[in-house]
Amino acid sequence: MLPALGLALACWSNGANAGDLYVICNVGVTLQPSEIKDAFIGEKGFVGTVKLAPSDNTAAQAAFLEKVLKVDATKYAGIWTKKAFRDGVNPPPVKASDAEALAYVKQTPGGCGYVATSPGAEVKLVARF
Amino acid sequence: MFKQVGNTVRGLMLGAALLGGGTPTIAQVANGEAAQLAELRQKLDESLKMIAALNARVQELEAARVPAPVAAAPAAPAEAQRIEVVETKVAQMEAANASHVADTTGLPMHGFADVGVANHYSWNPDLKGFNVGNLDFYLTPRLGDRTKALFELNIETDTDGTIGVDLERAQIGYTFSDAATVWLGRFHTPFGYMNTAFHHGSWISNALRRPAFLNFEDHDGILPVHTVGSWLTGAVRGDEGKLLYDVYIGNGQKIIGGIIDMRSAGNEHGQPIAGGRLGYEWTGGAVDGLAFGLHAFSSTISDDQLPQHDTRVRVYGGYVVYDTDRWEHISEVYFFDNQDLSGRTGSHRSEAGFLQLAYRSAFGVPYLRYERAALQQADQYFAQQAYGASYWRAAVGMRFDIDLKSAFKLELANTHITDRVRREYNEALAQYAIRF
Repeated sequence: MLPALGLALACWSNGANAGDLYVICNVGVTLQPSEIKDAFIGEKGFVGTVKLAPSDNTAAQAAFLEKVLKVDATKYAGIWTKKAFRDGVNPPPVKASDAEALAYVKQTPGGCGYVATSPGAEVKLVARF
Repeated sequence: MFKQVGNTVRGLMLGAALLGGGTPTIAQVANGEAAQLAELRQKLDESLKMIAALNARVQELEAARVPAPVAAAPAAPAEAQRIEVVETKVAQMEAANASHVADTTGLPMHGFADVGVANHYSWNPDLKGFNVGNLDFYLTPRLGDRTKALFELNIETDTDGTIGVDLERAQIGYTFSDAATVWLGRFHTPFGYMNTAFHHGSWISNALRRPAFLNFEDHDGILPVHTVGSWLTGAVRGDEGKLLYDVYIGNGQKIIGGIIDMRSAGNEHGQPIAGGRLGYEWTGGAVDGLAFGLHAFSSTISDDQLPQHDTRVRVYGGYVVYDTDRWEHISEVYFFDNQDLSGRTGSHRSEAGFLQLAYRSAFGVPYLRYERAALQQADQYFAQQAYGASYWRAAVGMRFDIDLKSAFKLELANTHITDRVRREYNEALAQYAIRF
């Protein structure tokens, strides 16, 4: 009983839990958690002089929309349709997996994304949901 | 020595006597032992045969097992190599996909289209029936971190039913920061709210059509909804909202054939249109979704009459919008303070505005709209426009989202033209609008 409880506490305090979502950015980006939503709906394009380059991740998008942006897929698509039509801003490129999203954020200056697995130390963790 | 030989002979003789005297008993014992020996020999032979058979079987089994470990030994490194190759390929594919910021094989094209049917068309009362609305393409090529472009090509049905093609927008911009983007080219004139929020692309708007006075120049519109020039725009964000601003200057428009032309190649007199808009939009807190703004512009707009009229058009006004997941309320007001620079008709004041209330329900978006324009007909700016008459209109409509990319809309409207030729008409309109 106690070892199992200890293992659970260790996972809770240190490791990834099922259902976790990590919002990450390139190491050169300092994005505040309160700025995540604006960055992913095209309202915030810069952090300092760094041009943000957010990306979507099909594997974790449903959780991201629900937990972070708090919109459904229909509204999210509508937001970007309007944004592109009004302001000439393109929606984020879509990555197919956590590995792709992680690789994109690592290698893209200004890159931001989200993954469902612990991202490691090569990117900057903005927030964990 | 002879004694020893004598003892031996005596011993042999005794042994022979013993053997000879006891012959029957010894023979019987010998016969029993021989039988036992034979039986034992037989059992021993059987055991040996069994051992030989078992040995052969063991060898056979071992022979069957031996090749597996012998073959597995070289197979293990081969499997590991294969997995390593697959992992390398997957990593390379992920890295390659990750580097794809966009589709680089061509320019992605997006657009809107709509078709419809109506019993009456306000911009051509002679027509009724089915119509092809707009086929609107817009392009947003990815040019770099700070340079961006927006082109909108609209294929639409003109008021006489012919098909026309308009380059609605052609703007190239440079973004300095979130607070400043400068555009050059042809853009939607940033006044009010609706003109930049909803334009061509009926799918975007909940209502089936724009208020008539805000319609496009070549339909019912009376305002220069497009400008060819330069536009500085941006937003300064706070904790619960953002301050929005626009400043622009461009070619002064001209009324040609009763329609405002935005003079895409420049104008004759060189007088500009110049204006700005300042607004605030709440993005959090108790009034999340509320926005308001003020706007104004001034332009010298001539016409194609002889003698020509030059009118200094001054327009100012404001808007209030409440746009949430549940509500979409929009109201705008415009005041015109125009002066005939030709000195023949003097100054004139006119006004226009609308209020639209919409509710986003699970089954659709019902809306109500009231719009009104009181336009001085002595003002050459209105008098020379084909659709410059005063009017008011009450409308009720409904939008049904069929799926993520298509919507069906209905509208019933009652319109009163209150000057020029006074008249009233009712309209029933339906529209099927998509985005792609």
